[in-house]
Amino acid sequence: MKSTPSPRSLDELTLDTRFSIQELISRESFEDLLGSLRQLFGVSLRVFAKGGALFAESGPGSPLQTYLGSLPGGRRAVRETVETVKSAEPEAKGAIRLSCATGERYAVIALQYDGRSLGRTVIGPYLDLQDGACPEGLSKCDPLLVPDRLNEAWSAIPKCSESSIARLVEHLKCVLDLILFSGHRALLASNMHLASVQESYRELSEKSATLQNAYERLKELDRLKSNFLATVSHELRTPLTSIIGYSEMLVAGIAGDLNEEQRDFIATIHEKGEQLLELIKGLLDLTKLESGTLNLHKLDIPVLPILKDIVHTLTPTARNKGVILSATGDAGIPTLWGDAARLRQVFLNLTENAIKFTPSAGHVTLSAQITHVALASDEDEGPAIVLRGVKRPMIEVRVADSGIGIPEGERARVFDAFYQVDSSSTREQGGTGLGLSIVKRLVDAHDGTVHIEENSPRGAVFVVRIPCKRLSFMG
Amino acid sequence: MQLDFTARELTIKLVYYGPALSGKTTNLQALHEASVPEATGRLMTLETRDDRTLFFDLLPLTFSSAKGLSVRLKVFTVPGQVIHSSTRRLVLQGADGVAFIADSREGETEHNAESYRDLRENLKQNGLTTKQLPLVLQFNKRDMPNVRTEAELADMAAQGREPVYLATATKGLGVVETFVGLLHLTWQTLDVKHGFIEKFGFDTSAFFADVLGKLNHPASLTDVLNIRVGGYGARREVMP
Repeated sequence: MKSTPSPRSLDELTLDTRFSIQELISRESFEDLLGSLRQLFGVSLRVFAKGGALFAESGPGSPLQTYLGSLPGGRRAVRETVETVKSAEPEAKGAIRLSCATGERYAVIALQYDGRSLGRTVIGPYLDLQDGACPEGLSKCDPLLVPDRLNEAWSAIPKCSESSIARLVEHLKCVLDLILFSGHRALLASNMHLASVQESYRELSEKSATLQNAYERLKELDRLKSNFLATVSHELRTPLTSIIGYSEMLVAGIAGDLNEEQRDFIATIHEKGEQLLELIKGLLDLTKLESGTLNLHKLDIPVLPILKDIVHTLTPTARNKGVILSATGDAGIPTLWGDAARLRQVFLNLTENAIKFTPSAGHVTLSAQITHVALASDEDEGPAIVLRGVKRPMIEVRVADSGIGIPEGERARVFDAFYQVDSSSTREQGGTGLGLSIVKRLVDAHDGTVHIEENSPRGAVFVVRIPCKRLSFMG
Repeated sequence: MQLDFTARELTIKLVYYGPALSGKTTNLQALHEASVPEATGRLMTLETRDDRTLFFDLLPLTFSSAKGLSVRLKVFTVPGQVIHSSTRRLVLQGADGVAFIADSREGETEHNAESYRDLRENLKQNGLTTKQLPLVLQFNKRDMPNVRTEAELADMAAQGREPVYLATATKGLGVVETFVGLLHLTWQTLDVKHGFIEKFGFDTSAFFADVLGKLNHPASLTDVLNIRVGGYGARREVMP
């Protein structure tokens, strides 16, 4: 025997079909039905479960039985009948008719479903229409018996013709069969619902586990890729340093004089070597940012000097392209909380990018201002948001260009590593696609945000927001 | 299969499988219709509003052999629609034999094949293969236009190991034959495994005579089995 109940299997419910009557029929409703049959036919009905326990009855028992039961001699007189009624095992078809020593009659019918016994139904007591007065012997069964009370109880026994009883038996069999069938059907349907849900759940859990495994494997592959990038970048840098160093020495004439053409060639080698070194540094930064090993030295720093320095650095590049580069900002804006060198890299990357995609006679403008940003609810560090205040002061740096702009659908993806809006091999603009990815990761590491807006009438605005102060309960 | 020694009672589970709307429920209805009242109970259907099977249909049938062993058969259908795969798997659990009801129409060939693949997959999940399980095929709806020809089906059936029956379940044609074919194949498979005939002195011919009698089918067992197309290698000779 199982100690805990579990839903019964489909096979148990269909092949076995060893039910108890309690499983298939609601007792209260069933007693209502028996009560209404009693009203209709005038006789009492009792249903016993398999094993003999009373399951349901149409109402109080027979007054004669109750009265005789209160007397020792009366109890003796009816004992035999009670035993017979209790032990009678009727066949599936038909009913057993029993006559009691008291003169009362009973009909017992089998309660069966799918060829299995579920119990018995006892109809009665009743008297046939021809039955006369109370048997004489009955009044002498006990010295304390009061004849008037016996006669009163006798006359209360319902009279019913055998043909009505036969009709009742047929009717009851039909009704019981339907009720048991419906009960079985409902039991099966509810168990099937449960089993189907369990089965679907099992199926989904398996699929989910497979997906989880695939996800873990991809994460591992991603980690391996980052490691690989870091190692390769590092290994590339060493010989490159020699190439740059020796080309510098050649240009400086350490190995002897060079003619104009040789100097040009070596200058190109040097320049391209430097470009390659920048790219490798970018890759190294990216892998460090991905693995979380990049250390930021955060301080309170003013933003305007950084922007002005960038304009100063990139003005020659902008001028070569015919792009006008400028920086604006309120002198009184607060400092921000960050790593000056890394933030410089952020704004430098964005500005270089802006110049690259802006045609001649276009503008690239850097501006800084303070803004207050509502806290997202999932930004839940420390105690409740309500204690911290809902708005957070941030420095907003906008790098606006009048270039080709970025289509709405591409705006989130440009921050992915190696992503290029125009990835065709014939694209106009060069680049590795690393710059913006590094920007995004550095800004994230500063607990800030970066997004792209549209510039009017054309171009794109990269908006970077960096917190003024550490985000903490202390403020 | 369940065997109750003391009650001398054997319960066998048969499942009617196949694509949606191929006539599985109709087969059971026709079988119910054909059988005498004392052999069968009510046909239970668990269906949705649009008369499609939701979980299954269940037809209980009871037959007996001369030696007093009573054989209770529980015949199930599965819901054919693709989405009810988990229910089909549940109903298929513990099946002793499967009748695959296919739609004979040309256009339904792919649905039949898909449902058969689903049967194989669900059996696999229950740890069974179509080779281990007694299986008969029925090509139903023979009265419809554009059906695959009898010659074509016979030709293909001859290459396979499963007995194939042709039927028009709406008219009750071929239904009893398919059922008896499945029961016979299942009976033989179970006997090889459990040795009923030897252990119980079970009388196969008396049993099938009782089955055919209670299904109001006047033909002999040999005649009924010989209506099949193909599958001759799948079975031993019909027992005397």
